[in-house]
Amino acid sequence: MFLVSYEFPAFLMALLVLYYLIPGRFQWMLLLAASCVFYAQGGVFYLIYPMVTTMTTWLLAVAMGNMTDRSRAWVRENNPGREEKKEHNRQVKRRQRRLMTLGLLLNFGILAVLKYFHFFLDNVNALLGFMGAEGEFVCGNWILPLGISYYTFQSMGYLMDVYYRKYDPERNPARFALFVSFFPQLVAGPISRYDQMRDQLYTSRRFSARSVRYGAVRMLWGYFKKLVIADRLGPAVVMIISSPEIYDGVYVLWGMIGYTVWMYADFAGGMDIVLGAAQMFGIRLPENFERPFFSKSLGQFWRRWHMSLMLWLREYIFYPASTSRFSAKTAKLAAKFLGRKAGGKIPVYIATMTVWLTAGIWHGASWNFVVWGLANGTVLLISQELTGWYRKFGEFCPFSRTRWYEVFQILRTCILFAWLEMFEYYPFRTVFAMSKSLFTSLGTPRTGDGRFEALGLMGADLGILAAGIVFMAAVSALQRRESVRDRLERRPVLVQYGVVFGLFLLVLVTGVYGHGYDVSQFIYNQF
Amino acid sequence: MKSRKLLWLGILLPVSAAILGACQNLLVPKYMGRVIEGAFIREYYEETEPHDVIFLGDCEAYENVSPIVLWREYGITSFIRGSAQQLIPQSYYLLEDTLTYETPAVVVLSVSAMQQYEQDNETYNRMTLDGMRWSASKVNAIRESMTEDEHMIEYVFPILRFHSRWRELEEDDFTYFLERREVTHSGYYMRADIRPAGEFPAERRRSTYAFDDRAWAYLDKIRLLCREKGITLILMKAPSLYPAWHEQWDQQIRDYAKEHQLLYVNCIDRSEDIGIDFTVDTYDGGLHMNVYGAEKTARYLGKILAELPAAKDRREADGGGPVNRVWEEKCRFYDQMKAAQEAEFEELGYLRQFAEEPAD
Repeated sequence: MFLVSYEFPAFLMALLVLYYLIPGRFQWMLLLAASCVFYAQGGVFYLIYPMVTTMTTWLLAVAMGNMTDRSRAWVRENNPGREEKKEHNRQVKRRQRRLMTLGLLLNFGILAVLKYFHFFLDNVNALLGFMGAEGEFVCGNWILPLGISYYTFQSMGYLMDVYYRKYDPERNPARFALFVSFFPQLVAGPISRYDQMRDQLYTSRRFSARSVRYGAVRMLWGYFKKLVIADRLGPAVVMIISSPEIYDGVYVLWGMIGYTVWMYADFAGGMDIVLGAAQMFGIRLPENFERPFFSKSLGQFWRRWHMSLMLWLREYIFYPASTSRFSAKTAKLAAKFLGRKAGGKIPVYIATMTVWLTAGIWHGASWNFVVWGLANGTVLLISQELTGWYRKFGEFCPFSRTRWYEVFQILRTCILFAWLEMFEYYPFRTVFAMSKSLFTSLGTPRTGDGRFEALGLMGADLGILAAGIVFMAAVSALQRRESVRDRLERRPVLVQYGVVFGLFLLVLVTGVYGHGYDVSQFIYNQF
Repeated sequence: MKSRKLLWLGILLPVSAAILGACQNLLVPKYMGRVIEGAFIREYYEETEPHDVIFLGDCEAYENVSPIVLWREYGITSFIRGSAQQLIPQSYYLLEDTLTYETPAVVVLSVSAMQQYEQDNETYNRMTLDGMRWSASKVNAIRESMTEDEHMIEYVFPILRFHSRWRELEEDDFTYFLERREVTHSGYYMRADIRPAGEFPAERRRSTYAFDDRAWAYLDKIRLLCREKGITLILMKAPSLYPAWHEQWDQQIRDYAKEHQLLYVNCIDRSEDIGIDFTVDTYDGGLHMNVYGAEKTARYLGKILAELPAAKDRREADGGGPVNRVWEEKCRFYDQMKAAQEAEFEELGYLRQFAEEPAD
């Protein structure tokens, strides 16, 4: 069952009715059962993967929790001296680290084997071929369980939080299973933290018309982004980026911008559906987007795009990597040769590049993604190094204090992001060749040479798409000060109803869906 | 406050439903132009008088027999419940549906659909099923014939299927927004143009000539339903040259008819008796009859039907009653359309309505 299917709204409605009819203490159990049903639609067999992750994570976290409890009890009973207590804690931590490492290896191992083993094998074969070896390793095709990256990251975040004693582990395996598998977020995130969700998932709730209304409107807005914009734009973008030899010059610019808008409308639309669906049950999931296209720098952009993943990487990769022994040793060594100031930056460099390498690999098993991640990391570090220069420029140039400079910064950031996205879909060399053609063969796209027509975006479709993007941008701009739903809530009933019903009609009539429609999968479901 | 909200809800819900209904009406295909086959099934529900004979089947049913001739020459009232590539299960459910309105004396089933059990094209399903009124029979017909990509909900709310027609709306969509014009003559699709039979590509050999078990099962269901209701079932193969009606298929139907004591009329074998001349009686080179061929076939079938004990000559029995009035009107409409098509064909050599590219 996909979020864009006739079955999903029907499933959601039936579940909502049941959810608010049954006694509150059973509500979370219903959500767990519904999550299992939802996931099992792709094949009961695939339930095994999240079940293994759930059980191993729960067991290891409980074991770590028990160690912590015993350790605290021992300290209370024996009242040890400072050194003795330190030694005791060190031993407990060491044992807990072993358990955490076991959990990480097992679960990231499953993810690595299922998602990256083919990529690994391709590279081994290429290397062997390069060395003149004959034959190659082959491996059968595995089907990747839906949302494996999301639920693995969420579970492993929980395991590390328990290790770092941010909160106590959940003792009830069924309750923990709901945290891992809550159906709206299971296949595309957002990646949540247990302490954000704990009080929400298991609380009994009475029917709230406001929650249901707000959730439904948000879902509708998500369907608008997905069906009216993303799925109308998607095929044209794929056509452009899959044929760089045909679509050069100005089409490269179109492809860059189109790909970025497509990604945003698809992913943010999906998130609106997910967050809206959860809100109908009174559950507020963390936001994944905060108007990223209004960012003034790439760093800011990445704090507002796929926020839950970025937060995860910051907490569980950046901080540990920047404070690791390796970073410290490298910094010391660098300080010896490059000076104290430069050496001090080394841990940040190492951590930043590790984060972006992980982000690249997380997005897909290909060198394109690896290069994309490293390119982003490099640009971010360069920007960081130039901060002082920017400040000086700001003091020197009055233009930098005007509104227009802000507009320039926003446009620059969007173009930079779109350009870096090219590394996702083109090999390294092609990115530069296409970028060059942007300057050498730039011209207006001509109708008549067949290229524009082949994109399938003519006449009314192009109009709907352009209007849809402007509408999406306008709503995003309006959200700056206050949620559009809150604004709408203050209007007369007739206006509220008119706007929502109008949006519904728009999606119903101009949405790309139904018979013969095959682009309904969300791009981010694949991760 | 609460009552105010309820009042708003009471006003806004029907208004929304009306707007959605209007959008749906506008967007669904009207089948009033070159392709009219999707408009046939619904015309049955406009009928005011019962029928002696109901024809069921695909194009071989609705293009090859003229009910007007059956009335004019034998006083038999009939209706063809047929549509393009109508499958045997669909014919069964259409029969079930028909029986909720009337019980005819005779059902004539075109057996050419026995060769295909599964629908290979969604368009044909829509042409048959969209016109049916909602009933358990319609639900079952949809379930039985849906292609893999189709959804029941798209039949319940056709706007979900046809929403993307907003970019191709034509004048007809507005003209027939509320009401459609009549396009058939008791379910008969009239063509008065002529294209003589020519060469046909050789038929491909088949790995098996056995009809699908599921097709047989539905043929059995039709037979049993007719027996239960006291209806005489006749099996018919319409006169056509192509696609081939293989001897192996014919033998299976002959055996079935014999086993269950049914009358089987193979019009291909009886073409000479019927008087079919494939140089003038077909509009598409021998695949289907034009009005001249359909009239000849009706004349021939009429003789058979008139001999059945259940058959009555309604012209006498009804006197100047409603049946006669209804059929006089049908005859007038039939004659008018036939004369118009004949004149157009004589003038242009083709019929504008059915031309591939609309002529200026």
